[in-house]
Amino acid sequence: MSSQDSARPQAARRLKSWGTLAVFAVLILFAFRATKFNLPALFTGAADFFRFFGRMAPDFTALPQIWSPLLQTIQIAYVATVVGSLIAIPLIFLASANTAIDPISMWVARTLLTVLRSIPDLLWAALFVAVLGLGALPGVVALTLFSIGVLAKLGSETVESIDPGPLEALRAVGAGRNRTIVFAVVPQVAATMVSFILYVFEINVRASVVIGFVGAGGIGVLLQRYLNFFDYTGLGALIVVIFLVVLLIDGFSVWARSRLI
Amino acid sequence: MVKTLQTPPTDIPRAPASVRRNRSLLIIGAALLVALFVLALVTMNLPTWSRVLSGLQRNAMPLLRGLVRPETSVFELAWNSMVTTFFMAILGTILGAVLAFPMSFLAAGNLLGGTRWALPGKAVLVAVRTFPEIVLAVIFVAAAGPGPTAGIMAMGIHSIGYLGKVFSDVIEGIDQGPMEAIRAAGGNQLHTFLFAVVPQVLPEFASNVLYRFEINLRSAAVLGMVGAGGIGLPLIQRLQFRRWAEVSMFIIVIVVFIIVVDAISSNIRRRLV
Repeated sequence: MSSQDSARPQAARRLKSWGTLAVFAVLILFAFRATKFNLPALFTGAADFFRFFGRMAPDFTALPQIWSPLLQTIQIAYVATVVGSLIAIPLIFLASANTAIDPISMWVARTLLTVLRSIPDLLWAALFVAVLGLGALPGVVALTLFSIGVLAKLGSETVESIDPGPLEALRAVGAGRNRTIVFAVVPQVAATMVSFILYVFEINVRASVVIGFVGAGGIGVLLQRYLNFFDYTGLGALIVVIFLVVLLIDGFSVWARSRLI
Repeated sequence: MVKTLQTPPTDIPRAPASVRRNRSLLIIGAALLVALFVLALVTMNLPTWSRVLSGLQRNAMPLLRGLVRPETSVFELAWNSMVTTFFMAILGTILGAVLAFPMSFLAAGNLLGGTRWALPGKAVLVAVRTFPEIVLAVIFVAAAGPGPTAGIMAMGIHSIGYLGKVFSDVIEGIDQGPMEAIRAAGGNQLHTFLFAVVPQVLPEFASNVLYRFEINLRSAAVLGMVGAGGIGLPLIQRLQFRRWAEVSMFIIVIVVFIIVVDAISSNIRRRLV
């Protein structure tokens, strides 16, 4: 009896893991066929790949050209983070179950955020370059929308997981929605939110490096030009600079976040 | 009675010095951030309002009109290239996970017997994470020719950076008990690894791989813009020729596909951990 009881779940579990493996194998098979993935090319390509890196010995005479697009990259990331956060904050409270006005506006806000989040950063950039023309402006708009999606998702998860006690207390004494949010929710989530905003700034710096590939301003414009003109030594210098800047900003952000929470 | 309520209380003590200092620091910080913001806006040479408005008039209206009535004749093309994109993301993620697995053990301090032995591994992972994925894609397009293979390689290499880091974080957080138990029972290094480390880390590894897959699906959708396969190429062509009705069809396919895959993937992740 007892042996049967323990045997059956075990058999079921085994069947389930074999089933998972089978589904996985079929998916991979289909993936190979659909993408015509070329494993041998991987190895022949690897040689080319490393040769490519060999030619990228950085030539730092290109540095003076790099500064102004680099500055623009950081400006795009900063402005997008600020504007994105300002727009995201009211959306967060609309989209969280415990601070929403009513189910309909909550649903609308959530759907909007899901759609915003499902569009990749480069696609936003390409879209706004087509609408607004080349330059930093489409980059700022694209990254702003992108940040709203990321920040609101993280934020509303935080708001929904707060201690409901202060909320109930303020409602019990007759506070309206705005006062409840300001005095019961904000003090609980402020530090976490600032840390999320720093994190979004990190993401935006990385994204604003590449959006220039589709013409949305910043250092990516230079990156693409060097690649197109086969200027590999300039490319090497550029990549070293990007690496250092991203590292610096990440380091600052990680340090600031560790002090916050 | 009413009068006493209305007179402002005078015996509230002043805030302690530390609170006042923090408050003034906060105000200075906020002012600094606002100043930086204004400075950035002024020096960024943004176009004039009239240019923005005319651009919006010419392009945003056709785009919005297209979103309401997308061009259905390109649905099949959009769908097929999105399916290819999906499979690219799968292979890229698997490639990344396979390569990240050994890397993560070289970046986990607790298995190497000291944090400093893990530093080289950690440094490599940071370098990989910082290298822009789209540059990798361009390099692989040059090395392996245009097509999904280049995109898969780029995603695979780039994913090592993220996956290697989270894998090694998971490994550093494991419970030492089972390892000691197996060593005490006479197991060797391989035994402890197989029966004490792997079972503990597998569910979290799987969950992180799925999360990376969600990110890679978004990347795969745009890598085609530099010729690395998937839906990006047909989409950017239509964007360049401003065929807004067709662009809208592509965007709808991408958005719906990603939302559905995200929902399934996060459902599985919730059950894993």
